[in-house]
Amino acid sequence: MQKKDKTTTLAEAVSLINDGDTVAIGGSLIRRHPMAIIFEMIRQGKRDLTLLGWNNAIDMDLLIGVGLVRAIETSYVGMAMVGLANNYRRAVESGSIRVYEHSETTAIDAFRAGSMGWTFYPSKTPLGSGLAKYNERVTPMDCPFTGEKFCVLPAFRPDVAIIHAHIADYVGNVQLDPIRELDNEVDTLIAKSAKKVIVSVEQVVSEEAIQENPHLTMLPKFFVDRIIEIPFGAHPTACDCRYDYDLDFLRDYHGQTKSVDNFNKWLDRYVLSVKDHYEYLDLVGLEQLFSIQRPREMR
Amino acid sequence: MPRTQDYSNEELMAVVIARELRDGDVAFVGLGTGGRAFVLAVGVPTAACQLARLTHAPNLSLMLGPIINPDPSSQPSSYADSDLIRWPSEAQVRVEECLDCFKLGKITVSFVSGSQVDRYGNLNVVAIGDTARPKVRLVGPIAQTDHLAAPARNFIVNDLSPRTFVDKVDFISGAGYLDGEQRREDHGLPSQGPWRLISDLAMFEFDEATRRLKVRALYPGVAPEDVASRMSFEPLGLDSAHELEPPRPEELQVLRERVDSKGLLLEAKIDSGV
Repeated sequence: MQKKDKTTTLAEAVSLINDGDTVAIGGSLIRRHPMAIIFEMIRQGKRDLTLLGWNNAIDMDLLIGVGLVRAIETSYVGMAMVGLANNYRRAVESGSIRVYEHSETTAIDAFRAGSMGWTFYPSKTPLGSGLAKYNERVTPMDCPFTGEKFCVLPAFRPDVAIIHAHIADYVGNVQLDPIRELDNEVDTLIAKSAKKVIVSVEQVVSEEAIQENPHLTMLPKFFVDRIIEIPFGAHPTACDCRYDYDLDFLRDYHGQTKSVDNFNKWLDRYVLSVKDHYEYLDLVGLEQLFSIQRPREMR
Repeated sequence: MPRTQDYSNEELMAVVIARELRDGDVAFVGLGTGGRAFVLAVGVPTAACQLARLTHAPNLSLMLGPIINPDPSSQPSSYADSDLIRWPSEAQVRVEECLDCFKLGKITVSFVSGSQVDRYGNLNVVAIGDTARPKVRLVGPIAQTDHLAAPARNFIVNDLSPRTFVDKVDFISGAGYLDGEQRREDHGLPSQGPWRLISDLAMFEFDEATRRLKVRALYPGVAPEDVASRMSFEPLGLDSAHELEPPRPEELQVLRERVDSKGLLLEAKIDSGV
């Protein structure tokens, strides 16, 4: 019997996500979000989603702007130095989505708890704040040993996690480059908390290449359901020392999303009229992609 | 308000903060904003910590997010990830371990800013207006709630403006002294809440008895009315406040020659993408 080949197409991988699912998104701020997977989720019209993350940007803003989202749980939805997330703003201000407010640690700990199979976790962060006042799930609890006051919150146990990483082999072992932005290590917890895990990578490599550097494996294969090779799969967000965020693209997106009409035009041009990821990259343009690519000696 | 001075307001703010830092402090500065918000949230606090490290506090540790004690002499000209990752520093740690330092009480100093700040030092970066249907939805709590729930000396760094300094915040994303009557301890929070508020016109503290915002010192040349006109509530101590000692030449020299020779931090010349 042969080893299972987990590599697949973007369309097939995304077909694992169902309407109504809770989807956890990897990445933080404007770095290493699984953007190609998100574009495909929009093309496939996944709806009624609950999104989980710890620090989010265009990834959530897009899905919310298309109207595919019912609720979110995260500490941040914004465009970092580019500005506020306009689709997100409109949706919250009109009351069309529910936001469960988290701080960075309550969101990370929710994934951490889920990744260990716990159903809840304690935190002192929400004490006295709006995070406790406006979230009916936050429950007071005293430590049975010391009597200290805590809040307990439910663990994140998403139906699906979507993650972007650097390399993987065909059996599903996922690795990150050794020199990388350590703000994204939460991706491991996000993946382990989920029932199904879809990982896009910049390159699929041989099993030998993975086994040469086993300490770089962030997810052993038994945590992973699907691998998709997608160069520039995090664009326009950054991918560590491989490429930086595409600020021109993000600024244009931010400008277009100031009105619903212009956002819909943007969406049609970059997502809905696009056949696959390579056609999207053609639209972005080689010159632009090379301009954000980092020199090889830095990798 | 005419003032003749040989230093910028941002240099002054950095010096004011540096003087409040202690040898052995572990100071946390978040990353990830642009323009004026960058100067207040990142530039001024970073410069203050590096100044303190190079003068009276050689054992102060600066956590710039997950980057611990980056070398001030090789400050990168951009905060793009690929530059931050390779900045010579003592350690770069996983973000979850870095944030655990708040819970552990390892972080003794932290810097925060708010879109709204009230008289008890409560902060709001979540929503203006009704929480369920806000007039303006902001970015969300980020790590601010963690900063204010930790037993750290929190420095609030904000420009004074009547829109920012309001009677009561619409959402508490960072717990200050709540409504003054309730004690932080009653909620299980450490008694240490906001410590200083560093503005563009004055430095504030919180009154021991009432927990209300109180002027600690006015910046050189600033009159009490200048401060009052830029806040929608009156802080304590406005009339009795003394004037702060201006930056000393040796403080300015270290700041200009060894901390921020290119104006990356205090003049926002860093390529943060804006």
